[in-house]
Amino acid sequence: MRKRTLLFILLSLLALLLAACGGSSEEPAAGGEESAQTTEETSGGEEAMTFKVGLVTDVGEIDDKSFNQSAWEGVLRAKEELGAEVDYIETKDAKDYEENIRLFADQGYNVIVTVGFALGEATAKMAEEYPDIYFIGVDQFQAPGTEKPNLAGLIFNEDKAGFLAGALAAQITKSGKIAAVLGTDLVPPVVAFKEGYEAGARYINPDIEIISTYHPGGLDVAFTDPEWGAATAKQAIDQGADVIFGAGGKTGNGALIEAASYEGVYCIGVDTDQWLTVPEARPCLVSSAMKLITPGVFDLVKMAKEGSFPSGNYVGEVGLAPFHDFEDDIPQEVKDKLKEIDEGLRNGTIETGYNPGG
Amino acid sequence: MPNNAMTMIRQRVSWLLVAGVVALIFVSYGATPAVTTALLASTVRQSTPLVLGALSGIFCERSGVINIAIEGMMLMGAFVGFLANVYTGNLLVAVLAAVLMGAFMGLAHAFMSITLKMDQIISGTVLNILALELTGFFYQQGLTTQGKLTPVRIPVLADIPLIGPVLFDNPPITYLSLVLVVVVHILLFRTVWGLRTRAVGEHPKAADTVGIDVIRMRYINVIIGGMIAGLAGGYLTLEAVGSFERAMTNGRGFVALAVMIFGKWTPLGAWGAALLFGFANALQTQFQFLGISTIPHQFVGMLPYLLTIVVLAGFVGRARPPAAIGQPYEKE
Repeated sequence: MRKRTLLFILLSLLALLLAACGGSSEEPAAGGEESAQTTEETSGGEEAMTFKVGLVTDVGEIDDKSFNQSAWEGVLRAKEELGAEVDYIETKDAKDYEENIRLFADQGYNVIVTVGFALGEATAKMAEEYPDIYFIGVDQFQAPGTEKPNLAGLIFNEDKAGFLAGALAAQITKSGKIAAVLGTDLVPPVVAFKEGYEAGARYINPDIEIISTYHPGGLDVAFTDPEWGAATAKQAIDQGADVIFGAGGKTGNGALIEAASYEGVYCIGVDTDQWLTVPEARPCLVSSAMKLITPGVFDLVKMAKEGSFPSGNYVGEVGLAPFHDFEDDIPQEVKDKLKEIDEGLRNGTIETGYNPGG
Repeated sequence: MPNNAMTMIRQRVSWLLVAGVVALIFVSYGATPAVTTALLASTVRQSTPLVLGALSGIFCERSGVINIAIEGMMLMGAFVGFLANVYTGNLLVAVLAAVLMGAFMGLAHAFMSITLKMDQIISGTVLNILALELTGFFYQQGLTTQGKLTPVRIPVLADIPLIGPVLFDNPPITYLSLVLVVVVHILLFRTVWGLRTRAVGEHPKAADTVGIDVIRMRYINVIIGGMIAGLAGGYLTLEAVGSFERAMTNGRGFVALAVMIFGKWTPLGAWGAALLFGFANALQTQFQFLGISTIPHQFVGMLPYLLTIVVLAGFVGRARPPAAIGQPYEKE
């Protein structure tokens, strides 16, 4: 009997511990208002006059050096240049998306920015409920027929960013063999990055050898498996690849870090300037295929203020990140060529050939 | 007699299989040396955490304690090893920290399942959840390390074509895992200690009557098992990736269980099974590299799991777990 009691006590202690752990990580979200960390003092009476912009993050921190932070920087620019009053809410649990958006909506915010593909559903629902508020959904593709007048999805042509990365890779490779280590093909932007990368590399050198791999797992693991990314990068390097494009969250980061430990191997990051996000990869990181979220968010906020808000999809800019330490190693003609391609992609004289519809 | 004949046939078949694999490797090396070397090196690399995890399982289960907490032990080891590396910058200290954390997890599992006689599956599940939550909560984005364990070339041996780069140009924990396979095999089947461990796992009452301290044997084994799982975690953060990520073990601890079963609870068997799993993963990647789409790469990835089911179903000889597994020992 004594054993039973002891077991019971231990189990309840464990349960308590688990509850404590779970609780503390969810606490801010559950507490609702507390999670809205006010970064700007509210200016009392002149509410009708002020232009208020709120941002709801995907699960994660505002300073994640990735999507959330880039979007927030766009909002901060709106504060500086448009005199907007700004605030953000960090989402702690995917269940709270709607709740968090509503917090801003009920406080009379004019524009609400939601960051990430995952918030798409909640954003669309809230946009319907609050027709007087403008919603900006970062990375939220608005399917034809479902557009709402007060909701703009900020999307990117990942294939163009990938094209630039591929064109860079094809120009700096010495072995004539380049690789891409990717998240899952279940996520359309990842496929776009890959197709663009391959098209860009072939644009420079039609005979280039490209070895690309998607993570075989599902959505739950494909972006959080750095060891798979690293092992795959090694397998590619061992057979002669000397440029690795890592596009797939932490899985891709694993590939970048692995490439950093090889002499003469370059790597290219994705989404944001990964020079800042993955310092371990600096020895090999020549650039990153970026989605320019900050200017995209700012432009949309500005348009909302000026009353020229676009509905449906708004295509943001993409581009390559600075070369940082490799600035001097990259020959001028390579830089010129990239510039020329960038212009070509913009004015439509160069096409990536990526066509998700067909 | 028929039993004997069966064993002989089985042995012949396995030797034939080994010979076939070796021949295949040589043919493929002759055709594409770089690709074959890369493929096999990747096989060894991907099998390392699996074989360590399986060894952890063997220690526990051979002494009669089910360990489904390998995943959690690995994750905790990976995390603590990573933290130690971040704050001390000393990789040896970091590896020791990972192993120590594993030992602590082993102790927790032993306490719950041996002393408290808790259901061992529940004890393991609790540890898995605990590890996931704790590491998820305490991990901060942006912690970076200065480096990771790098390959050590063994002179002369590393210059042998194919075998050299695959086996003798690896980082320390990979070497250690190969050494451990042999050491654990000898420990388990050639020493008094191993005999006692197995006795405790097969028939604890009999072991007790000849004066073996069942509880003590089980405690030691589960703690050692935890240490090896911790080392497997350290392998991930300190040698393979060089950084931590939430839930980065990604089920490797559970695959290790399959590897252990496939290897019929023997270290050498587990090593072979781990190599097969690693090879399937490497091959899956290679298929994509080569743009082969006639066979979906997911099918190749599935292969080891199918084979595990085949083994469990008894087609390739019997896979028999230790008889007293999962039963807490009650002294009369």
